[in-house]
Amino acid sequence: MRTDLFVMALVAVLLSIVLGQLGFFDAARLTKGLRNLGTLTLEMSPPDASVLPVAGEALWETVQMSFAGTVLGFLVSLPLSILGTRHLFSAPVSNLSRLIAAGIRTVPVLLWAILFVILVGLGPLAGTLGVAAYTVGYLAKIYPELFEGTDPEIMEAVRSTGASRFHLVRFVVLPEGANAILTQLLFMLEYNIRASSILGFVGAGGIGFIMQVYLQTLEYRRLATVLLLILLVVLVMDGLSAWLRKRFLLVPQL
Amino acid sequence: MDSADIALRADGICFAYRDGEWVLKDISLSLPRGKATMIMGPSGSGKTTLLKVLAGILCPQRGRVEVLGHEIEKQAQRSLHSLIGYIPQQLGLVRNLTSLENVLMGALGRCGHGKVMLGIFPRHEVKQAQAALDLMGISDKSSEKVFRLSGGQRQRVAIARTLLQRPRVVLADEFVSDLDLTLASEILRFMRQAADHEQITFLVTMHEPQLVREFADQVLILDRGQIVRRLRTDGPQERSAFEVLQ
Repeated sequence: MRTDLFVMALVAVLLSIVLGQLGFFDAARLTKGLRNLGTLTLEMSPPDASVLPVAGEALWETVQMSFAGTVLGFLVSLPLSILGTRHLFSAPVSNLSRLIAAGIRTVPVLLWAILFVILVGLGPLAGTLGVAAYTVGYLAKIYPELFEGTDPEIMEAVRSTGASRFHLVRFVVLPEGANAILTQLLFMLEYNIRASSILGFVGAGGIGFIMQVYLQTLEYRRLATVLLLILLVVLVMDGLSAWLRKRFLLVPQL
Repeated sequence: MDSADIALRADGICFAYRDGEWVLKDISLSLPRGKATMIMGPSGSGKTTLLKVLAGILCPQRGRVEVLGHEIEKQAQRSLHSLIGYIPQQLGLVRNLTSLENVLMGALGRCGHGKVMLGIFPRHEVKQAQAALDLMGISDKSSEKVFRLSGGQRQRVAIARTLLQRPRVVLADEFVSDLDLTLASEILRFMRQAADHEQITFLVTMHEPQLVREFADQVLILDRGQIVRRLRTDGPQERSAFEVLQ
């Protein structure tokens, strides 16, 4: 009990120090920030609907990039994850697979986009490849751990029928993990739609480019329209994910 | 007993999950061909571990296991499928697949990786799988996903999968423990029929003395990793010993 209190006090002290260093106790600055927020809100209202056709087209490109990038990334991450599953493959194979995934994961999505802009030029192709690379890094981290959690009793029972490791992947690991595979994939799609919105900042296509233009030219009413459109797409995606989960993931446990 | 009449023989089996902590201590047993042997014993006595060792899932530190003349340690586990079928306590069914797909897994040891990886099994295997489900009285549930089935129906799917595997020895770990007595009795009656007609040898761990008395040819009592008693359920003396146990 005393140890818990000591740890909590220590965390509180450390947090205070860090927040102080970051400027959280600078009252003048925070007050100014609040005033600026009011000004910005006023300048953003009402949203300028005249940009809807342009913003809609750019947003559609963002959705396409996210969808294609997520699916491509998923297709690459699945075999990589299977190879990274320790109870299916030997330590050298699974470690190498995990090392590749870790290497891909250390690069943030924006940096991937810059890299692909250099490699394939400006536009949505670079953005799609960037999203795909980031998706591989993330899913190839999550999936092997998920696959390793497959009920060992099911593995033992099916292995005793003479099943090979590829049979086990096809008939045990993937069906047993289907719910979690789909959940993570939907999460990744939602995340990628948000993340893709800023890829245009580095010339990798999508709505980010026009957001950057509106920000630089101080056209906040137009920016507000774009932000509302992104919000709408994210809400639609949330709804779609919820529907898909409800449709496919209602699996009571044995 | 003639060695030809023995389906499975274990000699001096010792097993420990951690160094020095023996879960099985010098276990020797033999299972008569085409007979049902049941293992009873308190929780933690080593029943499940013993079955896993006999099934070739766990490798004993000492001793040897022989199934129909084949020493199982010398065989890759994949090649044991025609000799040993294993039904774990929770049945080991894949919940997101249908009953038929689960039963077809019994044929995986005979199938390659071509069309089967696309979920397309040879026609004769599908027919046999459907026949196994029919035999178990659940052919109408063949396209039902396993998570939608009742406990008793799942038990039948697990047995049908083992039937399709066509092993000579079936090792089952408390596989009727979740069922009521009537249903468990029905499942075990089928097991007895298979033992009699197909000469399949059964080794089943069991808690319920009434079912053991009704269906077992031989009973082994396991306690703290050792077989402390061997009973046959037919002789009058053995029967009285059995009443004591009960």
